[in-house]
Amino acid sequence: AMRSRAEVDATLQTAKLNPAELLPAVHCLSFGPQAGGGECCLLQLEPGLCAELEAGHSLIIRGEKDEHAVLCSKDKTYDMKIADTSNMLLFVPGCKTPEQLNTDSASCNIIHSQIAGFSNNYWELRGCRPKLKKLRKLLMEDPYDGPDSQKDQTSTFSKYTTEDLLSLIQASEEEILHQLQVIGACKIEGYWRILDFDYEMKLLNHVTQLIDSESWPLTKVPLCACLEELGSLEPREMIEHILVRYGRKYVDAGEVFFEMREDKICRATAQMLLQNAVKFNLSEFEEVWQQSVPEGMTTRLDQLQGLALVDKSSRPETIFLLKVEDLPEDNQERFNSLFGIREKWTEVDITPYIQDLCAEKQTVGALLTKYARSSMLNGVKVYNSRRPIS
Amino acid sequence: SGGAGALAQWVLVELQGEVEPRQSGGLAGSLLGDLHYTCEGVPVLIVGHHILYGKVVQLEKPFAVLVKRGGGPQPSPTGPHGHYTVTALIKTKLLFKTRPKPIITHVPKKV
Repeated sequence: AMRSRAEVDATLQTAKLNPAELLPAVHCLSFGPQAGGGECCLLQLEPGLCAELEAGHSLIIRGEKDEHAVLCSKDKTYDMKIADTSNMLLFVPGCKTPEQLNTDSASCNIIHSQIAGFSNNYWELRGCRPKLKKLRKLLMEDPYDGPDSQKDQTSTFSKYTTEDLLSLIQASEEEILHQLQVIGACKIEGYWRILDFDYEMKLLNHVTQLIDSESWPLTKVPLCACLEELGSLEPREMIEHILVRYGRKYVDAGEVFFEMREDKICRATAQMLLQNAVKFNLSEFEEVWQQSVPEGMTTRLDQLQGLALVDKSSRPETIFLLKVEDLPEDNQERFNSLFGIREKWTEVDITPYIQDLCAEKQTVGALLTKYARSSMLNGVKVYNSRRPIS
Repeated sequence: SGGAGALAQWVLVELQGEVEPRQSGGLAGSLLGDLHYTCEGVPVLIVGHHILYGKVVQLEKPFAVLVKRGGGPQPSPTGPHGHYTVTALIKTKLLFKTRPKPIITHVPKKV
């Protein structure tokens, strides 16, 4: 039975509270039927998320059984952590504040409010880097190596649509789509595919050889002519894909052209050369590398950041392939891995291999302070592991 | 997910200690107490034999109330799994931190 005004007034009298000092309306709080069920929980919102929800956007919690859950808005990812409070938090629908009671002159005298639930903890959010390493791993299960591939017909590997990736990757949709573009994935028959590297180089070589034989300027490669000339060798979508990946698209007098990207092409060429051996004599490599890139392009070692590492301590100096995307995603594991490869690093050498670990507003310097120990070596500041390497 | 239509605005009531049913049979349906406000806007909660004075706090970080679809156990430390819906937003809390004042209903007479 619900409390009556008379009962409320009697309680006030027993409590020796003066009704004249109180607002006329009272909330009689009781526990609703679902209150003890534990089906409600609280999520503390970071700035911006409240506005997103009120605008009707969704927040999604992602994570498989063996992963820590993350919360994704349209374009950001957050770690979720339970925060305990020593107090009891009750969530009450339809409970009015004094301001609301004062402005609402028609409010009735007794408001029967049902407590929807209660908790002594809530979920806290902390912005984090999206967990995108898995994306590459999934797509690398079955790289695309051309329409003539024997593999695809008999392939038993999973292929992934956008929806599949959204449900498997702990990142927001925007972050996933951006990463797909960064790794050069493309949609083939509705599935996202990453190109087998050798196939990608084959496509690139078709284009660079055509540019050379037609004597086109590297800054003005016509799309139509490429599709015409190369369409008999490879699917048109693949030719366009490689132009988009290695060039900058623009329109001039109604026609589509590409400005070829020197840095990207030189970098890919280097990867092609380096992947064939454990390491190379640096000066020999530099010579072969320059000869292998299209005429008019200049190779520079700084194009290889995060792809290859030069060993200046060996005689002669050598260079070897080290791809940042092959290294662990977790901060501590990344540093362990790097210090396992080389005991002491200069900041210049290590930066390309830890840059992606920086959280919002975090600097490489802050990471080094946290995960490494610095010392001086021949007048140069170097970083090594904080712990003994086994 | 958010969902169509405006989200309901709820209020959080924060109390010290634990909430326990006075009678056996669980909490559902049982009364907690009466919530009044003084003319100055101070919330006053009468719970059982106690009076609690609190204050209205506008939350710097609002809460979303999530309801799990299809029921199930409380979220675990490794993460909530399953489908959740945002049912309401909470931007205000009534914080009762002061020690409750007991209501003395019967004062034994001096003999």
